[in-house]
Amino acid sequence: MASLKAYIATRVVLTIPMILILLTLVFFVMRVLPGNPVIAIVGMKASPKYIAELEHQLGLDKPLWQQYLDYLGKLIQGDLGTSMIWGRRPVIAEIMDHFPATLELTICSFIVSIIIGIATGMIAGVKKGGKVDFSMRVYSIVAYSLFIPWFGMMLQLIFGVWLNVLPVGGRIDPLLEPKHITGLYIIDSILTLNFKSLVNALEHLALPSLTLGIVLSGIYTRLVRSSLIEVFSQDFIRACRARGLKTSSILFRHGLKNALIPILTMMGLQFALLLAGAVLTETTFSWPGMGTFLMERIEYRDFTTVQGTIAFYALFVALVSLVVDLIYAYVDPRIRY
Amino acid sequence: MRGVSKAVWAAVVIVVVIVLAAAALLMQKPTPAPAPAPTPTPPPAPPTPKYADTITIGTTDKISDLDPAMAYDFFTWEVFNNVMEGPFKYKPGTTDLEKGIITDYQVQEGGKVYILKLRTDLKFADGSPCNANTLKWSIERVARINGDPAWFVTDLVDKVDVLDNYTLKITLKSPLSFFPAILAVPTYFPIPPDKYPADKVSSDNTAGGVGPYRIVKFVRDQQLVLEANPYYYGTPPKTKTVVIKFYKDATTLRLALESGEIDIAWKTLNPTDINSLKTKPGIKVWEGPGSFIRYIVFNTKIPPFDNKLVRQALAAALDRNSIAQKVFLGTVDPLYSLIPNGMWGHIDAFKDKYGEANLDLAKQLLRQAGYSESNKLKVELWYTPSHYGDTEADVAALIKEAWEKTGMVEVTVKSAEWSTYLDLTRKGQLAVTLYGWYPDYMDPDDYTFPFLHTGSNRWLGNPYSDPEMDKMLEQAEVEPDQSKRVELYKNIQIKLADDAPIVPIFQGKLYVASKDTVGGIVLDPLMLLRYYLIYKQVGS
Repeated sequence: MASLKAYIATRVVLTIPMILILLTLVFFVMRVLPGNPVIAIVGMKASPKYIAELEHQLGLDKPLWQQYLDYLGKLIQGDLGTSMIWGRRPVIAEIMDHFPATLELTICSFIVSIIIGIATGMIAGVKKGGKVDFSMRVYSIVAYSLFIPWFGMMLQLIFGVWLNVLPVGGRIDPLLEPKHITGLYIIDSILTLNFKSLVNALEHLALPSLTLGIVLSGIYTRLVRSSLIEVFSQDFIRACRARGLKTSSILFRHGLKNALIPILTMMGLQFALLLAGAVLTETTFSWPGMGTFLMERIEYRDFTTVQGTIAFYALFVALVSLVVDLIYAYVDPRIRY
Repeated sequence: MRGVSKAVWAAVVIVVVIVLAAAALLMQKPTPAPAPAPTPTPPPAPPTPKYADTITIGTTDKISDLDPAMAYDFFTWEVFNNVMEGPFKYKPGTTDLEKGIITDYQVQEGGKVYILKLRTDLKFADGSPCNANTLKWSIERVARINGDPAWFVTDLVDKVDVLDNYTLKITLKSPLSFFPAILAVPTYFPIPPDKYPADKVSSDNTAGGVGPYRIVKFVRDQQLVLEANPYYYGTPPKTKTVVIKFYKDATTLRLALESGEIDIAWKTLNPTDINSLKTKPGIKVWEGPGSFIRYIVFNTKIPPFDNKLVRQALAAALDRNSIAQKVFLGTVDPLYSLIPNGMWGHIDAFKDKYGEANLDLAKQLLRQAGYSESNKLKVELWYTPSHYGDTEADVAALIKEAWEKTGMVEVTVKSAEWSTYLDLTRKGQLAVTLYGWYPDYMDPDDYTFPFLHTGSNRWLGNPYSDPEMDKMLEQAEVEPDQSKRVELYKNIQIKLADDAPIVPIFQGKLYVASKDTVGGIVLDPLMLLRYYLIYKQVGS
């Protein structure tokens, strides 16, 4: 237990320089790139005098080193600053407006990808070498190479337009939004016992989660398959067979348990990737999440928001990877920190 | 091994949750109600149309700041025009001004002083009264905050005085013949002083003004819900509730209309989607004139574009019809002046001078400028890939094709994303660029002065300066006689075509696609949708 605590402490301490380096890089790269947030915001029509005034207000007329120190000073106090465009809201408020949407989509897509990936991988592993195995392997390649906007549009067309059973975009019907508690509509609907909102939120989640989940499931199919084949070739499985255990028992009680360990690592990495990579899905389904938000702010050179969002992401990903490591130790008692 | 069992159990629980959720979802799908037993009915009476209480509008636009002191974009102004109102407004379907929250007005001292008599029955969405003091406070707040659109007040207005509870006197810095058009801009819309901070922008403010609707809900980038304002002085809106849903992608917007998720798809559908929707049953596509223009800007300081002959040659070779048909599938019109078609004073100045895709004239001008097939004019043409839509690269490609058809021009097409593009343009580093313009007010002044007047056109990185042009533009701004203004703008356009520092390409048209049960959509060059006129029939 003591070593685990020390491990967590080390990881937390290591996160600080990581974020600092990342922020420094983002700070300078954003400013080195051509483009001025003030001009991008006010557009073409603003007078040079007004632009100069705005630059002064935003501190952009100060030397770069001074801007950097000012930013770090605020950051140490936990202040991510205020956005440079559209109302200049606090960056943390902007993040909190968009992050729950991405988190909800990420979690649901993650679940879809794991369920489909493990099921197909398991079938392929068990039926190794046969037609079913071949079909699953083809599925994994096709799924992984699907282009999200195209696949999303196909699902929108089939389920949204032709069958007309699911909405094609947005997060919830505007008139059914549950009371804001966590920002995660599924949780908020359950907490407020608003089942109409819950159903509506699930309907809106269905197509984006399926799109992203299916695309990402391909990698799990391959991974589970190869991991399962490897486990099945080991002596203890042969021993199980020799003892006359049923195939299903060997698969679930022994095979899958051992095959899942390397997959857990992949899940941790994939979750972090999902958070950042949901941008195409978000655009296709007009999902008001972090991906499209960050892209838009980069385009407008909203320095503070981009920096704050990236710092937030870095922290979150560090946290997820720490949690995954801890789960890893929990699942496999042989691992010690 | 103990841990793995837990992981498997967790997976089982997740599957169960998902299955339950899916079951709940399916159970919630409306099932058709059993048909009632047939009963003898009297002969049917003529049907009376009923209107739906709610209409849902989808858009790919976004709201910037729900504060007239800061917002300076078309969509937010559209919302303002539905929840607020100013001294003047445009008659739907026209570019004619009519009185808004005023009953009368007088122009004094040769157009320098405007006396506005306000209606006495004006109330904000919360029922609080609106009077001359409120309007004065609102106008002065815009100047105090000094946000993006503040110049409508700070550059033009000297002072604002309250003469009595319902009379306001606005003294201008200098006479302005088109000031009533400025008074139709949201910076002159009254807002409730107790709901907006006096000297700070309030970006997500839902207090609104004295317009036909009030805002009941706003979730940024997701939804805006409007409800009929019970205190509106005028005719109540036809639809009680208007829901606006924000989409990130034009294709999703189109699919949302087809799936019935929205009733109206407004700005901006792709040209291919517009044409395809025209043939879909149950969908109606509305077309109207737009006042959005696109043009090429030559930096007249960078050689060889400081040579008028070069600019004229490129203006002559331009093939506008090809761009309108091939890139936009006929959803835009070729434009031959900076003042758009349909606006008073417009003439086809460039067509009159150069014709269309006139390669012979272009070659002749290029030879005069010293170029030939062996000594080609080198042009670096810049565009920005997403700000004006996905079609921009194609526009640039067709301009290149038209210019290179002369056999004496070699074009290199380059692109930069919006903020970089603007920055480099302002610094005067780009020689030939593509830009677009949405009007601030409906007057030829807005299409000429900011482009051609010395100093005012610095935002384009264009140092074009001509004393004769400046004089005509200044005269046109203060001239009260309309026929003289028409003559002045005609001469301005002729000179523009001759000097060719900016070459117009096309003028946008407006398209709205809706369910065929939707009516009351009025499109005009103002490019604002009036939600209060729109209705949806729901049967008899």
